[in-house]
Amino acid sequence: MLNYLTYIVAAWIFLWGLYGIVTSKNLVHQVVCAAVLQTSTYVLLLGIGFKVGGTAPIFADIPVGTSVVDPLVQALMLTDIVVEATVMALLLSMVVKSNEVAGTVDPEELRVLTG
Amino acid sequence: MTATTMFPLPIAIPLAVAAFIALSGKLLGRRFSDALAIATAAANLWMTISILRATWLQPQTYWFGNWWPRAHDVALGICFTVDSVGASLAVLASLLTTAGLLFSWEIFEDTENHFQPLMLIFMAAMCGFSYTGDLFNLFVFFELMSVAAFALCGLKTLEPAPLQGAYNFGLVNTVGAFMIVMGIGLLYARTGALNFAQVGRSLGSSSDALVLLAFLLISVGYMVKAAIVPFHFWLADAHAVSPSPVCVLFSGVMVELGIYAVARVYWTMFQGGLAAHTRELRAILLVMAAITAIVGALMCYAEHHLKRLLAFSTIAHAGLMLAGVGLLAPKALGGFSLYVLSHGVVKGGLFLCAGIVLHRLRKIGEDHLHGEGKGMWWTAGLFLLGAWGLAGAPPFGTLLGESMISDSAKEFHQAWLPYIFMFAEIVTAGAVFRATFRIFFGWGELAPTDRSSQIEEKPETDEEEENVPAVMFVPAAVLILLGIALSAVPNLRSTAEAGAQLFTNQFTYAQAVLQNVEPAAPALTAPEPLTSSIVRSCIALALALLLALGSLFHKRIGGWLKFTHSLELGNPILRKAHSGHPGDYVAWLSFGTALLGGMFVWFLRR
Repeated sequence: MLNYLTYIVAAWIFLWGLYGIVTSKNLVHQVVCAAVLQTSTYVLLLGIGFKVGGTAPIFADIPVGTSVVDPLVQALMLTDIVVEATVMALLLSMVVKSNEVAGTVDPEELRVLTG
Repeated sequence: MTATTMFPLPIAIPLAVAAFIALSGKLLGRRFSDALAIATAAANLWMTISILRATWLQPQTYWFGNWWPRAHDVALGICFTVDSVGASLAVLASLLTTAGLLFSWEIFEDTENHFQPLMLIFMAAMCGFSYTGDLFNLFVFFELMSVAAFALCGLKTLEPAPLQGAYNFGLVNTVGAFMIVMGIGLLYARTGALNFAQVGRSLGSSSDALVLLAFLLISVGYMVKAAIVPFHFWLADAHAVSPSPVCVLFSGVMVELGIYAVARVYWTMFQGGLAAHTRELRAILLVMAAITAIVGALMCYAEHHLKRLLAFSTIAHAGLMLAGVGLLAPKALGGFSLYVLSHGVVKGGLFLCAGIVLHRLRKIGEDHLHGEGKGMWWTAGLFLLGAWGLAGAPPFGTLLGESMISDSAKEFHQAWLPYIFMFAEIVTAGAVFRATFRIFFGWGELAPTDRSSQIEEKPETDEEEENVPAVMFVPAAVLILLGIALSAVPNLRSTAEAGAQLFTNQFTYAQAVLQNVEPAAPALTAPEPLTSSIVRSCIALALALLLALGSLFHKRIGGWLKFTHSLELGNPILRKAHSGHPGDYVAWLSFGTALLGGMFVWFLRR
């Protein structure tokens, strides 16, 4: 059950993040919803790499054959975090600019290009 | 130095130079930064061409840190696996970046905006994206490319429209990127591998729910980049506001790379599992391609903001390219690669021409520019040539790509597909003809207006100039003429098909990567005669001209030809759907994903 639970939680967060982005009326809120959506990828990667009873994958001082957690997933997640932190910062800076230039953070009011 | 050790250079060198310019650009001054960036891009062009020659019909693999698979052929390291298709995309990316940087010599007065470093990062990421043989690496380059693209798109931060365009672009693509991460996570959970060849081998012929879900998430993620309807909304907003040299890269190669990624993941990893359902998957992809082509073409004709018009034409052509991949056959894929190259240079050239219009006439809306361009005959000529290329008429390379895809469609009894092609070609070429006749010849009625064309883009250059500088005109002309020159390459179609055969063979790909077994070069087959394609494209060209003239003189001709005018006014429902609201776009993205997922479950389950 624990195995499936992480996947269910990941999907749950993913869908709420999507819902938040779609219904958001404030650009800052919308970017934060995207960040929420992103955490679902962390949960998924955690669920993939974790092993019940596994220890840290440092092979210097543990006997051969010890059960360890997957060492690769942390690298994936770290890359994911770094990359998406950049994107979030960039999006938020655009929101700041939009407040300066257009005087609004409502996606409804920022619409200049349509049709 | 062997060819493989050269593979990382087109990524490493531009990144290093970009960091150097970003750090010391102020000290070096504008002109030096420009010259350095152009030199780097040109060097990249030379390197990618050498790599293309070295990997011509013989894919080669470079293992970072010499981590080649030793025991039991298990790949632990990260590799670049370069084949003809990937290598030619990298050449295209470098070529367009060089042209864009040359063009930008006259625009952007200061170095504050980090334009040159961002362009170099963008180019490096696109080269890495086309070379990599690793699933997660593909995602990293995808994100590097995206971040550079978001920043380049929002470069003109002093107006609301670029902010809206860049924000929508960023948000929608980021949601797509999360889907890709989810898909990669699922595949890693199943196979414990991230190398394409290794994942493909481990998946074997399994096609259970997890594999289908991973395929869905990954392909939707890349289709967002590829602007496939209904994931395409961000594209028009982003293109309308980006600086012209950036549009060249967006339309000319970034969108195409999204489709390339779908093809790559399908043929290296999912092909075995979905083998029993090729027919159903083909049908699904072709329907998406047709819808994309039709929606893109209709919206293209209804636009009067020159860049936005070209952006929708890119969406229509992305549909044609998806058809090349979606036929799931080597010949069609060969056609796809030719079409990408020739469309990339032609569309790139057209965007540069739009940049010239903005530079000389200080406006970009067709309705504001009626007859203003009289006297700019050379630029008008380039526009006409570009429209000719979009129609896929000889002597442009687009004809060859289109003919291969159409031939392949006939083999699979999809004879309707060439007509969709024709429709998209007629309407997109017609739109460019119409705009050219209005702007440069002052023919016909004034253009009806639409909301987007009212956005007056701030000119990219400071003061009005009487002439078009050579650094602007020459890159545009060279790009469009390359679209013609491409079709003069001998044996082009048979080579493209042979390259596609290597691309689509999962078994020899995995052997080449994991066991270092060089695949036998496929025999070159004689290409089919071009007659029917030439006839079709000439009809398309004639109809495109008639369509344009019909819209221009709709008041005089009347009768049933009035439909050309209503085509220009656009479909109100379609227009309304392109609302400019990022929430709506993500809603469409979710809807499309759910629909596609539903179709996968319905048709692709055993």
